[in-house]
Amino acid sequence: MTAFIFICFLPLPHRYKTMIMTAIRRYCLSVHAVVAFIGKSVSYLMPILAFVVAFEVFSRYILNKPTIWAYDTSLFMFGYIAALGGAYAQQQRAHINVDILYNKVSARTKSIFNLFSFALAMLFMVIVCKMSIGKFEEALEFNYRRQSEWGPHVHHYWLMMTIASGLLILQLSSDWIESIYHAITGKPFLPDDIRHQEENA
Amino acid sequence: MMSIELLTGILFVCIIVSFALGAPVGMALGGIAMGVGYITWGDALFNVIPTTLEATHFSFILLAIPLYIYMGQLLTRSGIGDAMFAASQMLIGRVRGSLAISVIVVCSMIGAMVGIIGAGIMTSGSIALRPMLERGYDKRLALGVIMAGGGLGILIPPSIPMIMFASSTQNSVGRMFIGALIPALITIVLLIAYVVISCKLNPNRAPMDKIPEVQPTVKEKFMTARDGLLSLMLIVAVLGSIIMGIATPTESGAIGVVGAIILAILFKRFKPRMVQKAGMQAALLVSVAMWIIVGASVFSNFHLLMGVQNMVAGFTQDLGLPPIMVIILFQVIMLLLGFIIDEFIIVLMCAPIFTPIAVSLGYDPIWFGILMILNIEIAVQTPPYGFALFYLKGIAPPGITMLDIYKSILPFVLLKLCVLIVVMMFPELVTWLPNYIMDS
Amino acid sequence: HAADHNWRFANLYSRGSAFGAVYESLAKNIETMSNGRIKVQVLYAGEGVGSTGIFGAVKTGLVTMGATFQSLNAGELPAGLVEIGLPGGTSDATELTTLFNEKGWAPILKRAYGEQGLVWLDPYIQPAVYVITKKEIKSIDDFKGLKIRAPGAYGKFLRNLGASPVSLAWGEIYTSLSTGVIDGSIGSNMIDHRDGNHVEVAKYMYKLPLAGAQVLPIIVNRNAWNKLTPDLQAIVQAATTVHAQAQLTKSKLWESEAVKEMQAKGLKWSPEPSAADKAAWTAAGSKLWDEYAAADKYSKELIDVLRKEAN
Ligand code: NA
Ligand code: NA
Repeated sequence: MTAFIFICFLPLPHRYKTMIMTAIRRYCLSVHAVVAFIGKSVSYLMPILAFVVAFEVFSRYILNKPTIWAYDTSLFMFGYIAALGGAYAQQQRAHINVDILYNKVSARTKSIFNLFSFALAMLFMVIVCKMSIGKFEEALEFNYRRQSEWGPHVHHYWLMMTIASGLLILQLSSDWIESIYHAITGKPFLPDDIRHQEENA
Repeated sequence: MMSIELLTGILFVCIIVSFALGAPVGMALGGIAMGVGYITWGDALFNVIPTTLEATHFSFILLAIPLYIYMGQLLTRSGIGDAMFAASQMLIGRVRGSLAISVIVVCSMIGAMVGIIGAGIMTSGSIALRPMLERGYDKRLALGVIMAGGGLGILIPPSIPMIMFASSTQNSVGRMFIGALIPALITIVLLIAYVVISCKLNPNRAPMDKIPEVQPTVKEKFMTARDGLLSLMLIVAVLGSIIMGIATPTESGAIGVVGAIILAILFKRFKPRMVQKAGMQAALLVSVAMWIIVGASVFSNFHLLMGVQNMVAGFTQDLGLPPIMVIILFQVIMLLLGFIIDEFIIVLMCAPIFTPIAVSLGYDPIWFGILMILNIEIAVQTPPYGFALFYLKGIAPPGITMLDIYKSILPFVLLKLCVLIVVMMFPELVTWLPNYIMDS
Repeated sequence: HAADHNWRFANLYSRGSAFGAVYESLAKNIETMSNGRIKVQVLYAGEGVGSTGIFGAVKTGLVTMGATFQSLNAGELPAGLVEIGLPGGTSDATELTTLFNEKGWAPILKRAYGEQGLVWLDPYIQPAVYVITKKEIKSIDDFKGLKIRAPGAYGKFLRNLGASPVSLAWGEIYTSLSTGVIDGSIGSNMIDHRDGNHVEVAKYMYKLPLAGAQVLPIIVNRNAWNKLTPDLQAIVQAATTVHAQAQLTKSKLWESEAVKEMQAKGLKWSPEPSAADKAAWTAAGSKLWDEYAAADKYSKELIDVLRKEAN
């Protein structure tokens, strides 16, 4: 990203600049596509989650046979939905912020604020990602499981957390690039229609 | 080593600055904890992340949040939510602000289903916010009613913070639950009275429904009544599933989801696409809510590991104040903590520190516990940091800013403060009913 | 003056609770005995580390020392479940102490914890695990079909008796007993039953304990331990030994107090089980030995010692 700032000011021939910019733009658009795909896919877990919990109630109350798997399964699905949707929420600017000052400043100042905010968020996500990789390796090494009677493996949860935080890093990096381009040039970096496609759908 | 007072000050400044710059709340809190933590503690602090993630994502109590959000989305997208309000308005009649009143009533019922704040706000927010705004209700009234009503989730039993309070201070959960009923009733009555009076004084806040140019036929009226009653039945069914011991409060959200889908089929509004769209929106909201909880928990865990609880404990020792001043001081401390700490942590941290002192001064522990719950209800909706605020912002349509939400809370915070003060002045409001029921 | 070592010590109990106070005094002892060279900050329930997170937090060094309940970490260190005591085990404190110190459990556990970067200090013997039910259990057959909140090994044990174990969050036990989602629940001891107010919504306690005693470890992060001079290591070790003794004596007292308080609130004991019931109870426990021995190498070593004793 720092390289990106230099590129804007480097005395390179124009066509090289254009080439580099196109490459960066392509990077951002691919990040958007991957994040949107995963964000939308994970939402299919929503009805399944409700079904699993409802099935446990049915099995316990009607059949008098509580399952051993529904408790952990529902918690895993909860974690997957909660974590993996984060990058898509960032892409759609759905994460909650306090917009009192933010809404009063110009678009360009907003971009400057974003540079700080997204960097702070990225710091957090890089550490989440690093710790999740560590826990994933540890879970594999010691064969970590849930403490329940069923005792399913937990390594996949940490792999999922690695991916979820990794996606957030990618999305934040793309948003950061967008913001710095806009802060410097005052022009949008990516086409307008990549956000809010789903609005009111 | 940095003193905990200085550290708390620095953290508070960091929150204010990053919130002012419009940073995403959850990730900013996480980032601040990591940054400040790295400087004061070192990289060993990073290990707070895995334990916090596990505690958050593997919390069965929090599972109510996705289930109730999904139920709310299904209700609103299938039109069942509208039917619910149409019917309750028919019951209330042509009163100014009737929709806001029915929101309070519905929120009270949701409050009787769930034991946490988030589920109530996000469910009633999904169902009721849009209808109110579409009918031209004042934004602040609409937002405030939902937040105040959603907060009832922890005041009307079942309530997770009450269970936590009872266990950490060795008091009866049953007494807490029963003791909360009168304060809850007072809150509900005050909220409704506020809506009625403020709409009388300022009719623009809640326009009357236009009298349709073509009178609805008997058949149409019948349809509204039938659809509405069926929808209200859903709430009754969900509540019934808890009372009859079929499902736990958390699981009841799943009963609600299944019920909403069955109703949509009955109303011939069921489309797989609708279920999928509701899932899409619900997943996004769940993710938003949970990343806030993760970031905020990382932040507060860091703060606790650094010893903020010792600061509070130290502050309350040897006060030498008159007893009632001590109680008031505790309330003020908790309100202040509510600026930077979440509801569960306030209970876990303050209940064991404050309650023995209150009891030694001769106060009833159940009464003190209810004061704490009333206090937390306020704390979660005071700026800058309060989960009720964040949940509501998550559910609100794009046009609603955080400033709208901040401005909406004032009258409702004052109302809840009134309840807190009244209950503080008249402990019998809490103690009479449990003593009457449980000792007879 | 500043301490040489600043430790954080996490436990599962609330600030101000009886067990919490004992951990507080252990911390004080370490500070006094080390002449202030080690300073110990005690962290109670909810103060920075979740109940299932203490094991991991000590392992990574987020906290230096921890008193954890191994059922909560069964998925991370399966041998911890055998250590705590499989259902049907002895309730005799002397016998348990011998098992650890002379019959060879201590070295096995030191290795099991050591493999994960933890130093295993003295075992703590805590009171028995009982099951509370809404209906009276007149014979062991009454367990058939009952839905009982019981995690892990205790769940398996009750399943062997024909009951249906249910998984529930701790915060939902009270409401679930009250509405009848479940018919009963275990508590990690009588004190836990009292604190959870279970007797308000379920009246009957079954006479036979699921585990006669529970053994909990105090664990220390190995890197922090290695930074101590040998004399400081000896001091921490000695303080924990003293503390283990204090906890054994006091927890007996607290247990009887908790039972008294619950009886005042209407707790009733189910009638004395028959000899056949007692035999069935023991059989349900011993069935678990094979299962747990097969699951993990350290569990197998521990159970082999038990088997040698039994023969
Ligand atoms: Na409630
Ligand atoms: Na607040």
